[in-house]
Amino acid sequence: MEDESRNSTETMPVLMKQGAEAKLYKSTFYGKPCIIKERFTKCYRHPSLDKSLTAHRIKSEVRALLRCRMNGICTPTVYFTNMENSSIYMEEIEDAQTVREYIQHVQAKESNDTANNILKPLGVKVGEILGIMHSNNIVHGDLTTSNMLLRGNPVELDVVIIDFGLSHFENFAEEKGVDLYVLERAILSTHPNTEDFFQTILETYKKYNLKSSAEVVAKLDEVRLRGRKRTMVG
Amino acid sequence: MSMRVIKNEFYMDSTISLALFRNVENAKEVRQNVMNGTFEGALLKTSMICDPFQVIVAANRAIHLKRQNKMITKNVHSEILFCLSPTKNISDSFRKFGLADNETSVMVVVADDIDGSTMSAICKCVKGELSDVQDVIHLKETKLIQKIYKIPDEELVVSKLLDSILSRISSKDVLTL
Ligand SMILES: Nc1ncnc2c1ncn2[C@@H]1O[C@H](COP(=O)(O)O)[C@@H](O)[C@H]1O
Repeated sequence: MEDESRNSTETMPVLMKQGAEAKLYKSTFYGKPCIIKERFTKCYRHPSLDKSLTAHRIKSEVRALLRCRMNGICTPTVYFTNMENSSIYMEEIEDAQTVREYIQHVQAKESNDTANNILKPLGVKVGEILGIMHSNNIVHGDLTTSNMLLRGNPVELDVVIIDFGLSHFENFAEEKGVDLYVLERAILSTHPNTEDFFQTILETYKKYNLKSSAEVVAKLDEVRLRGRKRTMVG
Repeated sequence: MSMRVIKNEFYMDSTISLALFRNVENAKEVRQNVMNGTFEGALLKTSMICDPFQVIVAANRAIHLKRQNKMITKNVHSEILFCLSPTKNISDSFRKFGLADNETSVMVVVADDIDGSTMSAICKCVKGELSDVQDVIHLKETKLIQKIYKIPDEELVVSKLLDSILSRISSKDVLTL
């Protein structure tokens, strides 16, 4: 009988990122590279309220990850959820860069027009993914170019969506409009000259969310206007 | 490598032991020995196992639930069968994932068999060939697995079958399919 426990190399979790809601660690789960997302307690909240809120967020996150996968959108595989320490153990997406890093890399190397051309297929892919997500009533809640990973060779457009920590499941155009608005702000404020890139996302989005895109885009316009008013005043 | 003993990564005093038997002649007798408590273990239908990792993920969860006093079924071995299954129906889980009397291969899982005595007892009882645990990948029935775990075709375009199964096992308590 072979005893794997004797030759297994214990890998300690390594802190990767300390966010506002959770800590991310890199570790392994029975030999597979894994990311641990541990939500921590908020001292200012009542302990029992905090516990149930945390459990609710973990459940929403795991549910959204699975719902996306069921609809053909790549997300990390969840290996284990531990409500006792408020942690999700998920697959580490290997050989990947964030869409943010990729756009920065392309823009640093190429002229504006060339960069836009190179990024266009990625915009189509992202628009397709968001259209499918919203037509299935999955609202991500924190769409940024850091929450999209590109696995392998970027030309393959193997996009993996991560961090569903603020996600919810609902059929309101308002929520979906805000989802797109958050992404638009994130793209335009992180990457210069990406108006065309976002336009490509939006045009493709409409094709994949036929049911509600008109309403959602109307809400997007509304939210944009509100946002602009706020910046004019402030 | 034939049998495997895996150290539980969350409870230092816990282990997961796996063994695969093929050309089994006495499935009924083995099953009866588990039913009447001669030895304690989970006997899994090999056609429903895509990869040993699937069993590790289910067993890890079952042991965790046991340690947290949150098991749904009566012992850790029935809990392993229940954790493997996507449904919340206990007898349905046993029927779909547990060994049937007419089968000729079986995956045995024993939790916390620290001194190996349970596995030795099972090995003595099974009339069959002890095989490499990894060989279970050749015995799966993909179409049946896809149906029972309710995995749509469009999902398999972006997801390996194993990952689809793992996602369901780990999401079981947060999702009703
Ligand atoms: N499952 C994962 N696989 C690989 N990298 C990840 C994963 N989850 C998070 N990351 C990385 O950690 C960073 C922060 O993640 P997050 O806090 O979830 O936005 C991301 O930008 C990724 O680079």
